[in-house]
Amino acid sequence: MSSFQVNGLCAGYGEKKVIDCLSFSLENGRLMGVLGANGSGKTTLIRSICGILRHEGECILEGVKLEGLSPRQLSQKCSYIPQRSGITIDISALDVVLMGFNPQLGLLERPTDAIKKQALAALDHAGIGSMAEMNYMHLSEGQKQLCILARTLVIKGRLLLLDEPESALDFRFRYRMLEIIRNWVRQDSRFALVALHDPMLALNYCDELMLLKNGRNIGVIHPSLDSFERMEEMLCEIYGSISLTACRDKAGRKHIILLNEGADGP
Amino acid sequence: MNIMKPSTASPTAKTKYCCIAGAILMIALAVLSLLVGKYPLSLEKLLAGDELQRRVFTTLRLSRTVVGLVGGFALGVSGFVYQTVFRNPLASPDIIGVSSGASAGAAAGILFLSGAAAVTASAFAGAVAAVILALALSSLDKSGRSGTIVLAGIAVHSLAQTALMCLKLTADPERELASIEYWIMGSLNGVSAHTIRGNLALCIVCLGALFLLHRQIILLSAEEGEARTLGVNVGFLRLIVLLTATLTVANVVSLTGLISFVGLLAPHGARLLLKNNHIGATLLSGLLGAVILLAADILARSVAGAELPVSIFTSLVGAPFLISLLIRGRKQA
Repeated sequence: MSSFQVNGLCAGYGEKKVIDCLSFSLENGRLMGVLGANGSGKTTLIRSICGILRHEGECILEGVKLEGLSPRQLSQKCSYIPQRSGITIDISALDVVLMGFNPQLGLLERPTDAIKKQALAALDHAGIGSMAEMNYMHLSEGQKQLCILARTLVIKGRLLLLDEPESALDFRFRYRMLEIIRNWVRQDSRFALVALHDPMLALNYCDELMLLKNGRNIGVIHPSLDSFERMEEMLCEIYGSISLTACRDKAGRKHIILLNEGADGP
Repeated sequence: MNIMKPSTASPTAKTKYCCIAGAILMIALAVLSLLVGKYPLSLEKLLAGDELQRRVFTTLRLSRTVVGLVGGFALGVSGFVYQTVFRNPLASPDIIGVSSGASAGAAAGILFLSGAAAVTASAFAGAVAAVILALALSSLDKSGRSGTIVLAGIAVHSLAQTALMCLKLTADPERELASIEYWIMGSLNGVSAHTIRGNLALCIVCLGALFLLHRQIILLSAEEGEARTLGVNVGFLRLIVLLTATLTVANVVSLTGLISFVGLLAPHGARLLLKNNHIGATLLSGLLGAVILLAADILARSVAGAELPVSIFTSLVGAPFLISLLIRGRKQA
Protein backbone atom coordinates (compact mmCIF):
# COMPACT_ATOMS: atom_id res chain seq x y z
CA MET A 1 0.00 0.00 0.00
CA SER A 2 1.54 3.27 -1.03
CA SER A 3 1.04 6.32 1.08
CA PHE A 4 1.72 9.98 1.60
CA GLN A 5 3.38 10.84 4.90
CA VAL A 6 4.22 14.11 6.56
CA ASN A 7 6.62 13.87 9.48
CA GLY A 8 7.35 16.63 11.97
CA LEU A 9 6.51 19.51 9.64
CA CYS A 10 7.24 22.98 11.11
CA ALA A 11 6.72 26.16 9.14
CA GLY A 12 6.08 29.82 9.72
CA TYR A 13 6.82 33.36 8.73
CA GLY A 14 9.97 34.84 10.24
CA GLU A 15 10.07 34.05 13.96
CA LYS A 16 6.40 33.17 14.12
CA LYS A 17 5.72 29.45 13.96
CA VAL A 18 2.38 28.71 12.32
CA ILE A 19 2.67 24.94 11.85
CA ASP A 20 4.15 23.24 14.88
CA CYS A 21 5.66 19.79 14.35
CA LEU A 22 2.71 18.35 12.45
CA SER A 23 2.56 14.71 11.33
CA PHE A 24 -0.03 12.64 9.51
CA SER A 25 -0.29 9.99 6.84
CA LEU A 26 -2.75 9.34 4.04
CA GLU A 27 -3.38 6.17 2.05
CA ASN A 28 -3.78 6.21 -1.70
CA GLY A 29 -7.19 6.66 -3.29
CA ARG A 30 -8.33 8.81 -0.39
CA LEU A 31 -9.40 12.41 -0.13
CA MET A 32 -8.37 14.15 3.08
CA GLY A 33 -9.93 17.40 4.19
CA VAL A 34 -8.25 19.87 6.52
CA LEU A 35 -10.52 21.81 8.84
CA GLY A 36 -9.59 24.60 11.17
CA ALA A 37 -10.55 28.09 12.20
CA ASN A 38 -9.05 31.09 10.42
CA GLY A 39 -5.37 31.36 11.30
CA SER A 40 -5.07 27.73 12.36
CA GLY A 41 -2.45 27.11 9.65
CA LYS A 42 -4.38 25.46 6.81
CA THR A 43 -2.89 27.61 4.06
CA THR A 44 0.59 27.42 5.56
CA LEU A 45 0.38 23.64 5.67
CA ILE A 46 -0.70 23.36 2.03
CA ARG A 47 1.89 25.87 0.80
CA SER A 48 4.65 24.10 2.74
CA ILE A 49 3.88 20.70 1.29
CA CYS A 50 3.89 21.96 -2.29
CA GLY A 51 7.28 23.56 -1.77
CA ILE A 52 6.33 27.24 -1.86
CA LEU A 53 7.18 27.84 1.80
CA ARG A 54 10.41 26.79 3.45
CA HIS A 55 9.83 24.32 6.26
CA GLU A 56 11.41 21.75 8.54
CA GLY A 57 10.39 18.12 8.55
CA GLU A 58 9.72 15.94 5.57
CA CYS A 59 6.93 15.03 3.17
CA ILE A 60 7.21 11.57 1.60
CA LEU A 61 5.01 10.68 -1.35
CA GLU A 62 5.11 7.00 -2.35
CA GLY A 63 8.63 6.65 -1.00
CA VAL A 64 9.99 9.87 -2.59
CA LYS A 65 11.01 12.76 -0.41
CA LEU A 66 9.41 15.88 -1.91
CA GLU A 67 11.90 18.30 -0.41
CA GLY A 68 14.73 16.89 -2.54
CA LEU A 69 12.98 17.47 -5.89
CA SER A 70 13.50 20.31 -8.36
CA PRO A 71 10.46 22.52 -9.10
CA ARG A 72 9.99 20.65 -12.36
CA GLN A 73 10.10 17.17 -10.80
CA LEU A 74 7.88 18.31 -7.95
CA SER A 75 5.32 19.76 -10.34
CA GLN A 76 5.04 16.40 -12.09
CA LYS A 77 4.12 14.70 -8.82
CA CYS A 78 2.07 17.20 -6.95
CA SER A 79 -0.12 20.08 -8.03
CA TYR A 80 -1.64 22.97 -6.18
CA ILE A 81 -4.75 25.09 -6.46
CA PRO A 82 -4.59 28.40 -4.58
CA GLN A 83 -7.58 30.22 -3.09
CA ARG A 84 -7.48 32.49 -6.09
CA SER A 85 -5.17 32.28 -9.06
CA GLY A 86 -2.70 35.14 -9.43
CA ILE A 87 -3.25 35.53 -13.16
CA THR A 88 -3.70 39.23 -13.86
CA ILE A 89 -3.15 39.52 -17.61
CA ASP A 90 -5.55 39.09 -20.53
CA ILE A 91 -5.21 35.47 -21.54
CA SER A 92 -7.74 32.91 -22.81
CA ALA A 93 -9.07 30.12 -20.60
CA LEU A 94 -7.49 27.62 -22.98
CA ASP A 95 -4.09 29.24 -22.54
CA VAL A 96 -4.49 29.03 -18.77
CA VAL A 97 -5.07 25.28 -19.06
CA LEU A 98 -2.11 24.96 -21.43
CA MET A 99 0.10 26.34 -18.64
CA GLY A 100 -0.55 23.03 -16.89
CA PHE A 101 1.41 21.17 -19.56
CA ASN A 102 4.59 23.08 -18.75
CA PRO A 103 6.13 20.23 -16.71
CA GLN A 104 5.89 17.97 -19.77
CA LEU A 105 7.33 20.45 -22.24
CA GLY A 106 10.92 21.51 -22.85
CA LEU A 107 11.94 25.07 -22.01
CA LEU A 108 11.44 26.39 -25.55
CA GLU A 109 8.88 23.84 -26.73
CA ARG A 110 5.39 24.93 -27.73
CA PRO A 111 2.17 23.00 -27.04
CA THR A 112 1.25 20.73 -29.96
CA ASP A 113 -2.24 20.32 -31.40
CA ALA A 114 -2.63 17.04 -29.50
CA ILE A 115 -1.91 18.87 -26.25
CA LYS A 116 -4.42 21.58 -27.18
CA LYS A 117 -7.04 18.87 -27.68
CA GLN A 118 -6.29 17.45 -24.24
CA ALA A 119 -6.62 20.93 -22.76
CA LEU A 120 -10.00 21.43 -24.42
CA ALA A 121 -11.14 18.05 -23.12
CA ALA A 122 -10.07 19.06 -19.61
CA LEU A 123 -12.15 22.25 -19.87
CA ASP A 124 -15.10 20.19 -21.06
CA HIS A 125 -14.64 17.84 -18.14
CA ALA A 126 -14.71 20.78 -15.74
CA GLY A 127 -17.94 21.90 -17.41
CA ILE A 128 -16.67 25.12 -18.99
CA GLY A 129 -15.68 23.80 -22.41
CA SER A 130 -17.66 26.52 -24.20
CA MET A 131 -15.51 29.21 -22.61
CA ALA A 132 -12.16 28.04 -23.97
CA GLU A 133 -11.56 31.16 -26.05
CA MET A 134 -12.93 33.62 -23.50
CA ASN A 135 -10.66 35.99 -21.64
CA TYR A 136 -9.85 34.39 -18.28
CA MET A 137 -10.10 37.80 -16.58
CA HIS A 138 -13.73 38.10 -17.69
CA LEU A 139 -14.83 34.77 -16.19
CA SER A 140 -16.72 34.62 -12.90
CA GLU A 141 -14.77 33.52 -9.81
CA GLY A 142 -16.37 30.09 -9.99
CA GLN A 143 -15.50 29.64 -13.66
CA LYS A 144 -11.96 30.82 -12.96
CA GLN A 145 -11.57 28.23 -10.23
CA LEU A 146 -12.90 25.45 -12.49
CA CYS A 147 -10.46 26.58 -15.18
CA ILE A 148 -7.58 26.33 -12.69
CA LEU A 149 -8.90 22.91 -11.65
CA ALA A 150 -8.79 21.81 -15.31
CA ARG A 151 -5.22 23.12 -15.56
CA THR A 152 -4.24 21.16 -12.46
CA LEU A 153 -5.80 17.88 -13.52
CA VAL A 154 -4.03 17.76 -16.90
CA ILE A 155 -0.70 17.42 -15.06
CA LYS A 156 -1.82 13.92 -14.02
CA GLY A 157 0.23 14.15 -10.85
CA ARG A 158 -0.13 11.89 -7.82
CA LEU A 159 -0.96 14.39 -5.11
CA LEU A 160 -3.37 17.28 -5.37
CA LEU A 161 -3.22 20.11 -2.83
CA LEU A 162 -6.08 22.57 -2.63
CA ASP A 163 -6.32 25.64 -0.48
CA GLU A 164 -9.95 26.49 0.24
CA PRO A 165 -10.85 26.04 -3.43
CA GLU A 166 -14.53 26.46 -2.66
CA SER A 167 -14.37 29.80 -0.86
CA ALA A 168 -15.22 31.86 -3.98
CA LEU A 169 -17.71 29.37 -5.43
CA ASP A 170 -21.47 29.40 -5.24
CA PHE A 171 -23.56 26.48 -3.97
CA ARG A 172 -23.67 24.40 -7.16
CA PHE A 173 -20.05 24.93 -8.18
CA ARG A 174 -18.88 23.76 -4.75
CA TYR A 175 -20.43 20.35 -5.19
CA ARG A 176 -19.26 20.03 -8.77
CA MET A 177 -15.69 20.86 -7.77
CA LEU A 178 -15.55 18.37 -4.89
CA GLU A 179 -17.17 15.73 -7.11
CA ILE A 180 -14.48 16.19 -9.78
CA ILE A 181 -11.71 16.06 -7.18
CA ARG A 182 -13.12 12.91 -5.57
CA ASN A 183 -13.38 11.12 -8.92
CA TRP A 184 -9.83 12.17 -9.78
CA VAL A 185 -8.54 10.68 -6.54
CA ARG A 186 -10.42 7.40 -6.99
CA GLN A 187 -9.09 7.06 -10.54
CA ASP A 188 -5.53 5.65 -10.41
CA SER A 189 -5.59 5.71 -6.57
CA ARG A 190 -4.20 9.20 -6.14
CA PHE A 191 -3.99 11.45 -3.08
CA ALA A 192 -5.64 14.76 -2.34
CA LEU A 193 -5.37 17.13 0.59
CA VAL A 194 -8.00 19.87 0.64
CA ALA A 195 -8.19 22.72 3.11
CA LEU A 196 -11.88 23.52 3.38
CA HIS A 197 -13.78 26.44 4.76
CA ASP A 198 -17.13 24.73 4.85
CA PRO A 199 -17.27 21.84 7.39
CA MET A 200 -20.49 20.44 5.95
CA LEU A 201 -18.96 20.06 2.50
CA ALA A 202 -15.95 18.41 4.13
CA LEU A 203 -18.09 15.95 6.12
CA ASN A 204 -19.95 14.85 3.01
CA TYR A 205 -17.11 14.53 0.51
CA CYS A 206 -13.89 13.68 2.34
CA ASP A 207 -12.77 10.21 3.41
CA GLU A 208 -10.81 11.65 6.31
CA LEU A 209 -10.74 15.01 8.03
CA MET A 210 -7.71 16.38 9.81
CA LEU A 211 -8.56 18.94 12.46
CA LEU A 212 -6.08 21.75 12.86
CA LYS A 213 -5.80 24.02 15.87
CA ASN A 214 -2.94 26.45 16.47
CA GLY A 215 -0.82 24.64 13.90
CA ARG A 216 -1.23 21.22 15.49
CA ASN A 217 -3.07 18.14 14.29
CA ILE A 218 -5.61 17.58 17.07
CA GLY A 219 -7.11 14.47 15.50
CA VAL A 220 -8.44 12.79 12.40
CA ILE A 221 -12.08 11.82 11.87
CA HIS A 222 -13.60 9.48 9.30
CA PRO A 223 -17.07 10.83 8.49
CA SER A 224 -18.39 7.55 7.05
CA LEU A 225 -17.10 5.35 9.91
CA ASP A 226 -16.97 7.36 13.14
CA SER A 227 -19.94 7.80 15.45
CA PHE A 228 -21.64 11.20 15.49
CA GLU A 229 -20.77 11.55 19.19
CA ARG A 230 -17.05 11.22 18.55
CA MET A 231 -17.15 13.61 15.59
CA GLU A 232 -19.24 16.16 17.48
CA GLU A 233 -16.84 16.06 20.39
CA MET A 234 -13.84 16.66 18.14
CA LEU A 235 -15.46 19.31 15.91
CA CYS A 236 -16.47 21.23 19.05
CA GLU A 237 -12.75 21.85 19.61
CA ILE A 238 -12.78 24.02 16.49
CA TYR A 239 -16.27 25.31 15.98
CA GLY A 240 -17.56 25.56 19.55
CA SER A 241 -20.92 24.11 20.42
CA ILE A 242 -22.25 22.16 17.41
CA SER A 243 -24.26 19.05 16.71
CA LEU A 244 -24.50 16.66 13.77
CA THR A 245 -27.55 15.09 12.25
CA ALA A 246 -28.18 12.96 9.19
CA CYS A 247 -30.86 13.22 6.57
CA ARG A 248 -31.54 11.84 3.10
CA ASP A 249 -32.13 13.72 -0.14
CA LYS A 250 -34.90 12.70 -2.59
CA ALA A 251 -32.57 10.24 -4.31
CA GLY A 252 -31.97 8.56 -0.97
CA ARG A 253 -28.36 9.67 -0.51
CA LYS A 254 -27.29 10.34 3.07
CA HIS A 255 -26.15 13.85 3.97
CA ILE A 256 -24.55 14.97 7.21
CA ILE A 257 -25.86 18.29 8.51
CA LEU A 258 -23.96 20.46 10.95
CA LEU A 259 -25.98 22.60 13.33
CA ASN A 260 -24.78 25.48 15.43
CA GLU A 261 -25.78 24.95 19.09
CA GLY A 262 -23.87 27.93 20.43
CA ALA A 263 -25.23 30.88 22.35
CA ASP A 264 -24.92 33.09 19.27
CA GLY A 265 -27.23 30.87 17.19
CA PRO A 266 -30.37 32.24 15.55
CA MET B 1 -21.42 26.32 -29.67
CA ASN B 2 -22.18 27.80 -33.08
CA ILE B 3 -22.13 31.26 -31.64
CA MET B 4 -18.63 30.64 -30.29
CA LYS B 5 -17.23 29.68 -33.70
CA PRO B 6 -16.65 33.15 -35.19
CA SER B 7 -15.00 34.42 -32.04
CA THR B 8 -12.54 31.50 -32.00
CA ALA B 9 -11.34 32.44 -35.47
CA SER B 10 -11.27 36.21 -35.06
CA PRO B 11 -8.57 36.81 -32.37
CA THR B 12 -5.87 35.19 -34.51
CA ALA B 13 -7.12 36.93 -37.63
CA LYS B 14 -7.18 40.26 -35.80
CA THR B 15 -3.63 39.70 -34.57
CA LYS B 16 -2.55 38.95 -38.12
CA TYR B 17 -4.21 42.06 -39.58
CA CYS B 18 -2.83 44.33 -36.86
CA CYS B 19 0.69 42.95 -37.29
CA ILE B 20 0.54 43.31 -41.09
CA ALA B 21 -0.76 46.88 -40.77
CA GLY B 22 1.97 47.65 -38.21
CA ALA B 23 4.66 46.17 -40.46
CA ILE B 24 3.47 48.18 -43.48
CA LEU B 25 3.42 51.39 -41.44
CA MET B 26 6.88 50.61 -40.08
CA ILE B 27 8.32 50.00 -43.56
CA ALA B 28 6.71 53.17 -44.90
CA LEU B 29 8.21 55.22 -42.09
CA ALA B 30 11.58 53.55 -42.59
CA VAL B 31 11.57 54.58 -46.26
CA LEU B 32 10.52 58.10 -45.30
CA SER B 33 13.26 58.15 -42.67
CA LEU B 34 15.83 57.27 -45.35
CA LEU B 35 14.82 60.26 -47.47
CA VAL B 36 13.95 63.03 -44.98
CA GLY B 37 16.54 65.23 -43.30
CA LYS B 38 18.69 68.32 -43.54
CA TYR B 39 19.85 67.12 -46.92
CA PRO B 40 16.74 65.72 -48.65
CA LEU B 41 17.29 62.69 -50.81
CA SER B 42 15.15 61.52 -53.69
CA LEU B 43 14.78 58.02 -55.02
CA GLU B 44 15.38 59.02 -58.66
CA LYS B 45 18.67 60.76 -57.95
CA LEU B 46 19.82 57.89 -55.73
CA LEU B 47 19.07 55.34 -58.42
CA ALA B 48 20.69 57.56 -61.04
CA GLY B 49 23.89 57.24 -59.01
CA ASP B 50 24.38 60.79 -57.71
CA GLU B 51 27.64 60.52 -55.71
CA LEU B 52 26.77 62.99 -52.93
CA GLN B 53 23.29 61.55 -52.50
CA ARG B 54 24.69 58.05 -52.27
CA ARG B 55 27.26 59.03 -49.65
CA VAL B 56 24.66 60.74 -47.45
CA PHE B 57 22.50 57.67 -47.81
CA THR B 58 25.12 55.12 -46.79
CA THR B 59 26.98 57.05 -44.09
CA LEU B 60 24.10 58.90 -42.40
CA ARG B 61 20.59 57.78 -43.27
CA LEU B 62 20.93 54.04 -43.51
CA SER B 63 22.49 53.46 -40.09
CA ARG B 64 20.18 56.00 -38.47
CA THR B 65 17.10 54.30 -39.91
CA VAL B 66 18.29 50.85 -38.93
CA VAL B 67 18.90 52.00 -35.33
CA GLY B 68 15.45 53.61 -35.25
CA LEU B 69 13.85 50.44 -36.55
CA VAL B 70 15.67 47.85 -34.46
CA GLY B 71 15.93 50.13 -31.42
CA GLY B 72 12.21 50.94 -31.40
CA PHE B 73 11.36 47.29 -31.90
CA ALA B 74 13.67 46.28 -29.05
CA LEU B 75 12.25 48.89 -26.67
CA GLY B 76 8.70 47.77 -27.49
CA VAL B 77 9.38 44.08 -26.98
CA SER B 78 11.39 44.47 -23.79
CA GLY B 79 8.76 46.83 -22.37
CA PHE B 80 6.20 44.11 -23.00
CA VAL B 81 8.39 41.57 -21.23
CA TYR B 82 9.00 43.84 -18.23
CA GLN B 83 5.31 44.58 -17.74
CA THR B 84 4.45 40.89 -17.91
CA VAL B 85 7.20 39.64 -15.62
CA PHE B 86 6.68 42.34 -12.97
CA ARG B 87 2.89 41.97 -13.28
CA ASN B 88 2.74 45.73 -13.36
CA PRO B 89 1.50 47.79 -16.30
CA LEU B 90 3.88 50.64 -15.43
CA ALA B 91 7.07 48.58 -15.28
CA SER B 92 9.80 49.51 -17.72
CA PRO B 93 13.51 48.77 -18.18
CA ASP B 94 14.30 51.85 -16.09
CA ILE B 95 13.01 49.92 -13.09
CA ILE B 96 16.26 48.03 -12.69
CA GLY B 97 18.48 50.97 -13.39
CA VAL B 98 19.54 50.32 -16.97
CA SER B 99 19.05 53.91 -18.13
CA SER B 100 20.83 55.56 -15.24
CA GLY B 101 23.65 53.03 -15.52
CA ALA B 102 24.01 53.82 -19.22
CA SER B 103 24.02 57.57 -18.51
CA ALA B 104 26.74 57.25 -15.88
CA GLY B 105 28.74 55.03 -18.22
CA ALA B 106 28.38 57.46 -21.11
CA ALA B 107 29.43 60.38 -18.88
CA ALA B 108 32.54 58.48 -17.84
CA GLY B 109 33.22 57.70 -21.50
CA ILE B 110 32.89 61.35 -22.51
CA LEU B 111 35.23 62.45 -19.72
CA PHE B 112 37.95 59.83 -19.88
CA LEU B 113 37.80 58.28 -23.34
CA SER B 114 37.64 59.67 -26.82
CA GLY B 115 35.53 58.84 -29.83
CA ALA B 116 31.88 57.94 -30.31
CA ALA B 117 32.53 54.21 -30.28
CA ALA B 118 34.27 54.43 -26.90
CA VAL B 119 31.34 56.36 -25.43
CA THR B 120 28.92 53.74 -26.72
CA ALA B 121 31.01 50.94 -25.26
CA SER B 122 31.29 52.76 -21.95
CA ALA B 123 27.53 53.41 -21.81
CA PHE B 124 26.89 49.75 -22.57
CA ALA B 125 29.29 48.70 -19.81
CA GLY B 126 27.52 51.08 -17.38
CA ALA B 127 24.10 49.72 -18.25
CA VAL B 128 25.15 46.09 -17.92
CA ALA B 129 27.01 46.79 -14.67
CA ALA B 130 23.90 48.44 -13.20
CA VAL B 131 21.68 45.55 -14.19
CA ILE B 132 24.04 42.88 -12.89
CA LEU B 133 24.46 44.78 -9.63
CA ALA B 134 20.67 45.12 -9.23
CA LEU B 135 20.02 41.45 -9.95
CA ALA B 136 22.91 40.34 -7.70
CA LEU B 137 21.59 42.49 -4.84
CA SER B 138 18.09 41.08 -5.31
CA SER B 139 19.39 37.51 -5.23
CA LEU B 140 20.57 38.12 -1.65
CA ASP B 141 16.91 37.81 -0.69
CA LYS B 142 16.44 34.07 -0.95
CA SER B 143 12.64 34.22 -1.00
CA GLY B 144 12.84 35.48 -4.59
CA ARG B 145 10.05 38.07 -4.45
CA SER B 146 9.78 40.28 -7.51
CA GLY B 147 9.42 43.31 -5.24
CA THR B 148 13.01 42.80 -4.11
CA ILE B 149 14.24 43.31 -7.67
CA VAL B 150 12.37 46.61 -7.85
CA LEU B 151 13.89 47.77 -4.55
CA ALA B 152 17.38 46.71 -5.60
CA GLY B 153 16.82 48.52 -8.91
CA ILE B 154 15.85 51.73 -7.10
CA ALA B 155 19.00 51.47 -4.97
CA VAL B 156 21.22 50.96 -8.02
CA HIS B 157 19.41 53.74 -9.87
CA SER B 158 20.20 56.25 -7.14
CA LEU B 159 23.81 55.02 -6.91
CA ALA B 160 24.21 55.55 -10.66
CA GLN B 161 22.59 59.00 -10.39
CA THR B 162 25.10 59.92 -7.69
CA ALA B 163 27.99 58.69 -9.83
CA LEU B 164 26.62 60.71 -12.74
CA MET B 165 26.40 63.82 -10.56
CA CYS B 166 30.01 63.41 -9.41
CA LEU B 167 31.16 63.00 -13.01
CA LYS B 168 29.23 66.11 -14.05
CA LEU B 169 30.89 68.11 -11.25
CA THR B 170 34.33 67.27 -12.59
CA ALA B 171 33.33 67.92 -16.20
CA ASP B 172 34.42 70.97 -18.15
CA PRO B 173 31.19 72.99 -18.43
CA GLU B 174 31.90 74.29 -21.92
CA ARG B 175 32.42 71.08 -23.84
CA GLU B 176 32.12 67.94 -21.72
CA LEU B 177 29.10 68.88 -19.61
CA ALA B 178 27.22 69.93 -22.73
CA SER B 179 27.89 66.66 -24.48
CA ILE B 180 26.91 64.66 -21.37
CA GLU B 181 23.61 66.54 -21.21
CA TYR B 182 23.09 66.12 -24.94
CA TRP B 183 23.82 62.39 -24.73
CA ILE B 184 21.31 61.93 -21.92
CA MET B 185 18.61 63.71 -23.89
CA GLY B 186 18.80 60.95 -26.46
CA SER B 187 19.10 61.21 -30.21
CA LEU B 188 19.63 59.00 -33.20
CA ASN B 189 21.91 61.68 -34.62
CA GLY B 190 25.52 60.64 -34.94
CA VAL B 191 25.14 56.88 -35.05
CA SER B 192 27.38 55.61 -37.79
CA ALA B 193 27.66 52.31 -39.55
CA HIS B 194 30.86 50.99 -37.98
CA THR B 195 29.86 51.68 -34.36
CA ILE B 196 26.41 50.05 -34.47
CA ARG B 197 27.13 46.60 -35.85
CA GLY B 198 28.07 44.85 -32.61
CA ASN B 199 25.22 46.41 -30.66
CA LEU B 200 22.61 45.60 -33.26
CA ALA B 201 23.78 42.00 -33.67
CA LEU B 202 23.62 41.38 -29.91
CA CYS B 203 20.28 43.18 -29.75
CA ILE B 204 18.77 40.94 -32.42
CA VAL B 205 20.09 37.79 -30.71
CA CYS B 206 18.50 38.89 -27.42
CA LEU B 207 15.22 39.68 -29.18
CA GLY B 208 15.19 36.21 -30.72
CA ALA B 209 15.72 34.69 -27.29
CA LEU B 210 12.82 36.71 -25.85
CA PHE B 211 10.48 35.44 -28.57
CA LEU B 212 11.60 31.85 -27.94
CA LEU B 213 10.99 32.29 -24.21
CA HIS B 214 7.51 33.76 -24.69
CA ARG B 215 5.65 30.81 -23.14
CA GLN B 216 7.89 30.96 -20.06
CA ILE B 217 7.40 34.72 -19.77
CA ILE B 218 3.63 34.21 -19.67
CA LEU B 219 4.12 31.58 -16.92
CA LEU B 220 6.07 34.16 -14.91
CA SER B 221 3.02 36.42 -14.99
CA ALA B 222 1.22 34.04 -12.63
CA GLU B 223 1.62 34.41 -8.88
CA GLU B 224 5.01 33.14 -7.69
CA GLY B 225 3.95 30.04 -5.78
CA GLU B 226 1.55 29.15 -8.54
CA ALA B 227 4.26 29.38 -11.21
CA ARG B 228 6.52 27.25 -9.05
CA THR B 229 3.95 24.49 -8.76
CA LEU B 230 3.63 24.57 -12.56
CA GLY B 231 7.26 23.48 -12.67
CA VAL B 232 8.83 26.88 -13.25
CA ASN B 233 12.12 27.61 -11.52
CA VAL B 234 10.85 31.13 -10.87
CA GLY B 235 13.97 32.81 -9.49
CA PHE B 236 16.32 31.48 -12.16
CA LEU B 237 13.98 31.98 -15.10
CA ARG B 238 13.11 35.51 -14.04
CA LEU B 239 16.80 36.31 -13.80
CA ILE B 240 17.46 34.99 -17.33
CA VAL B 241 14.45 36.77 -18.84
CA LEU B 242 15.19 40.10 -17.16
CA LEU B 243 18.87 39.90 -18.07
CA THR B 244 18.00 39.24 -21.72
CA ALA B 245 15.37 41.97 -21.87
CA THR B 246 17.69 44.44 -20.21
CA LEU B 247 20.63 43.58 -22.46
CA THR B 248 18.35 44.32 -25.40
CA VAL B 249 17.63 47.76 -23.99
CA ALA B 250 21.24 48.37 -22.98
CA ASN B 251 22.29 47.81 -26.60
CA VAL B 252 19.85 50.47 -27.76
CA VAL B 253 20.32 53.16 -25.12
CA SER B 254 24.09 52.92 -25.29
CA LEU B 255 23.80 53.94 -28.95
CA THR B 256 21.08 56.55 -28.66
CA GLY B 257 20.99 57.87 -25.12
CA LEU B 258 17.76 57.83 -23.16
CA ILE B 259 14.53 57.46 -25.08
CA SER B 260 11.52 57.86 -22.88
CA PHE B 261 8.11 56.27 -23.08
CA VAL B 262 8.55 53.95 -26.09
CA GLY B 263 8.96 50.92 -23.83
CA LEU B 264 5.84 51.90 -21.92
CA LEU B 265 3.65 53.00 -24.82
CA ALA B 266 4.18 50.26 -27.36
CA PRO B 267 3.10 47.30 -25.16
CA HIS B 268 -0.01 49.15 -23.97
CA GLY B 269 -0.90 50.03 -27.52
CA ALA B 270 -0.52 46.40 -28.57
CA ARG B 271 -2.64 45.13 -25.68
CA LEU B 272 -5.34 47.75 -26.22
CA LEU B 273 -5.56 46.70 -29.86
CA LEU B 274 -5.46 42.93 -29.40
CA LYS B 275 -6.67 42.41 -25.81
CA ASN B 276 -4.48 39.35 -25.42
CA ASN B 277 -0.90 38.41 -24.58
CA HIS B 278 -0.12 35.98 -27.36
CA ILE B 279 3.22 36.04 -29.10
CA GLY B 280 1.47 38.17 -31.74
CA ALA B 281 0.97 40.88 -29.11
CA THR B 282 4.71 40.85 -28.39
CA LEU B 283 5.41 41.20 -32.09
CA LEU B 284 2.90 44.04 -32.45
CA SER B 285 4.45 45.75 -29.43
CA GLY B 286 7.81 45.64 -31.20
CA LEU B 287 6.32 46.96 -34.44
CA LEU B 288 4.59 49.82 -32.62
CA GLY B 289 7.84 50.64 -30.83
CA ALA B 290 9.63 50.89 -34.17
CA VAL B 291 6.81 53.03 -35.62
CA ILE B 292 6.91 55.45 -32.67
CA LEU B 293 10.69 55.79 -32.66
CA LEU B 294 10.98 56.20 -36.44
CA ALA B 295 8.20 58.81 -36.47
CA ALA B 296 9.70 60.68 -33.51
CA ASP B 297 13.12 60.66 -35.16
CA ILE B 298 11.76 61.96 -38.46
CA LEU B 299 10.07 64.82 -36.56
CA ALA B 300 13.21 65.46 -34.49
CA ARG B 301 15.28 66.18 -37.57
CA SER B 302 12.70 67.97 -39.70
CA VAL B 303 10.55 70.18 -37.41
CA ALA B 304 13.18 72.78 -36.59
CA GLY B 305 16.37 73.96 -38.25
CA ALA B 306 18.46 72.24 -35.61
CA GLU B 307 18.40 68.60 -34.56
CA LEU B 308 16.06 68.11 -31.55
CA PRO B 309 16.27 65.36 -28.92
CA VAL B 310 14.06 62.47 -29.95
CA SER B 311 12.62 62.05 -26.42
CA ILE B 312 10.78 65.36 -26.84
CA PHE B 313 8.60 63.72 -29.47
CA THR B 314 8.25 60.33 -27.83
CA SER B 315 7.18 62.14 -24.66
CA LEU B 316 4.80 64.45 -26.53
CA VAL B 317 2.93 61.38 -27.69
CA GLY B 318 3.61 59.41 -24.53
CA ALA B 319 2.38 61.72 -21.78
CA PRO B 320 -1.17 62.21 -23.11
CA PHE B 321 -1.40 58.51 -23.90
CA LEU B 322 -0.34 57.58 -20.37
CA ILE B 323 -2.86 60.01 -18.85
CA SER B 324 -5.70 58.64 -20.99
CA LEU B 325 -4.65 55.16 -19.90
CA LEU B 326 -4.86 56.13 -16.23
CA ILE B 327 -8.31 57.67 -16.69
CA ARG B 328 -9.47 54.57 -18.54
CA GLY B 329 -8.14 52.36 -15.74
CA ARG B 330 -10.00 54.40 -13.14
CA LYS B 331 -13.26 54.13 -15.05
CA GLN B 332 -12.93 50.36 -15.18
CA ALA B 333 -12.14 50.05 -11.46
